Amino acid sequence: MNALDIDRLRAYVDGLPNSGLDETRRRAVAALAASGLPSTHDESFKYTDLAEIGALSSAWLERPARPAIVAPTRQRIEALTAKTDIDWLVIANGDPNPALAHSPVAGIAIERLSEAADPRPVLEPLTALNAALLEEGLIVTVAASPERPLGLLVIDDAHDRPGLSQLRVDIEVTAGQSLEFVEYYVSTGDEPHYSNALLRLNLGEGCTLRHLRLQNRAIRHSQTQRLDVALARDAAFTSASFDLGGRLTRNDLNVDLRGAGSQAEIAGLYVSGDGQHIDNHTRIDHRTGPTRSGQEYRGILFGRSRAVWNGKAVVHEGADGTNAEQANHNLLLSEKAEIDTKPELEIHAEDVRCAHGTTIGQLDETALFYLRSRGIDADDARRLMMRAFATRILQASPVDAAKPKLEALLDARLATLD
Amino acid sequence: MLKIDKLHVRTGDAEILHGLTLTVNAGEVHAIMGPNGSGKSTLAQAIAGHEDYAVTGGRIEFLGRDIGELDPEERAREGLFLGFQYPVEIPGVNNAYLLKTALNAQRKQAGKEEIDAYEFLKLAKEKMALLGMDPKFLNRGVNEGFSGGEKKRNEILQMAVLEPKLAILDETDSGLDIDALKTVAQGVNALRSPERAIVLVTHYQRLLDYITPDYVHVLSGGRIVHSGDKSLATELEDRGYDWVVATAGA
Repeated sequence: MNALDIDRLRAYVDGLPNSGLDETRRRAVAALAASGLPSTHDESFKYTDLAEIGALSSAWLERPARPAIVAPTRQRIEALTAKTDIDWLVIANGDPNPALAHSPVAGIAIERLSEAADPRPVLEPLTALNAALLEEGLIVTVAASPERPLGLLVIDDAHDRPGLSQLRVDIEVTAGQSLEFVEYYVSTGDEPHYSNALLRLNLGEGCTLRHLRLQNRAIRHSQTQRLDVALARDAAFTSASFDLGGRLTRNDLNVDLRGAGSQAEIAGLYVSGDGQHIDNHTRIDHRTGPTRSGQEYRGILFGRSRAVWNGKAVVHEGADGTNAEQANHNLLLSEKAEIDTKPELEIHAEDVRCAHGTTIGQLDETALFYLRSRGIDADDARRLMMRAFATRILQASPVDAAKPKLEALLDARLATLD
Repeated sequence: MLKIDKLHVRTGDAEILHGLTLTVNAGEVHAIMGPNGSGKSTLAQAIAGHEDYAVTGGRIEFLGRDIGELDPEERAREGLFLGFQYPVEIPGVNNAYLLKTALNAQRKQAGKEEIDAYEFLKLAKEKMALLGMDPKFLNRGVNEGFSGGEKKRNEILQMAVLEPKLAILDETDSGLDIDALKTVAQGVNALRSPERAIVLVTHYQRLLDYITPDYVHVLSGGRIVHSGDKSLATELEDRGYDWVVATAGA
């Protein structure tokens, strides 16, 4: 068990203003009291120690920073979202009110989680912490395909004191509709911060969801996030996730291929430098056939840093005609960097095609010499090679409107590595 | 242009070049021939500044300056070009991007402004037409999935765009069919000028049917053992290398 002070948590939750989430909160506190936060003895947290997150949460609960810190200025939001043709919903320091105040987008309805008949909490330790502390979440219903991509801009700041924020967004895409969805996480401040997120995407029959996740947090700011995606018949999910910043990042991406003909292509890139820890856990459930999934994650590791990749595909009984592929490739550019990579396949069906591969390597010296022999500086040549390594994931990124932004952030990140 | 004096080069545990001396002046084309394993590629790599080829004695002067301490990129920006025997595939690095970055690195060194996108494209397409290359190669990864002949043409394209003062072409003829060989030779000949020097490193004489050298040298056992004019190449083709090596050893 990790050090989360349950008494303080209970006292804090009891002091929250009454809302439609009260019953959920009580259940969540009870679940956490029984489980605590995961420890490194739990298989799925073997390489990721949440001790500092438990300590930070407990410290915050002792002296909570409510009401929320100053909202980000319009200029800042405009600077963050410049040159993207995207409808951005803003959640600042855990407060979804700016998103709720967004002017209506044709085809999309946004409602308060606290007003939902059933807030559908997930009472696993981290998501239970989310359910216990969450004051408001969003339920987004896409009844008709919107013209522009929908964006979620999450801003967390911790300038004067440590920060803690919870995020919860459910998106329901009704049958036959399509959506482009971007998550963009940023933060500033030298004090530590912990953001804990739960997102759920529910795709109806024949839906298409193109998804981009972009995390560029400040160097002392940590994030755990669970993203659950459920796909009905013939629905398609294409996703690319980029982790560039942050201290400790843990992503749990769970894709549930429920309907025949559904498919998921997920890609990810993590760039981990000194002091960073980036953990990607994926799980794809093939519940019926034919379904297909592909995952490719790539990592660039520098300095004293660590990354974890655990990609799992589960082919359930009767899911005949499943095709599942997994790949994880890493550039390990420092002797102090560490990668723990593990593809996992669990197969309970016949007529299944599965493949996986992982690699860990360095930059190709012959190629570096080739570039230098053409007059390109050694540092530039290295960056060019790193960029080349990342290209497959950039190309897999399915939201064109965010591409210039994404490329600029990646180039800026690679420019700071040495 | 290039003055190599008693050069010793070591790679791994072995010394490959044992006191090689060679002078190349502006406007000249030299062919360096020799049996396999004689040190031809080592010489090319050492001039370009590959870290695995350590100069343990002697010196390499380029444009009157000792370049022994210069990085490969500095040598390139001074106007030195190495055409690789085995051009490297770099998936994800765009061919046009590499060409433009290389050209701009050189222009910056010369105190010139960066070339603009339009001018660059015009230049690249003009040079590609000369080499019979499809412009679509510009948008592919560097040498990615190129055939042997396409890779060699791509080397010559880079040379044509960069217009180096000294080009060293390492086995540029290997793996080329006769038509590709003619095209490549045409590209090289187009660059011959009184201000430029070209060194052809080759095992076979056939490239020299299309690019006439001013001087031919035989490299054997890590030294230049014999030098002559273009007729030496024909003689080597007829008689092989053994007689030169034997004469030199005597």
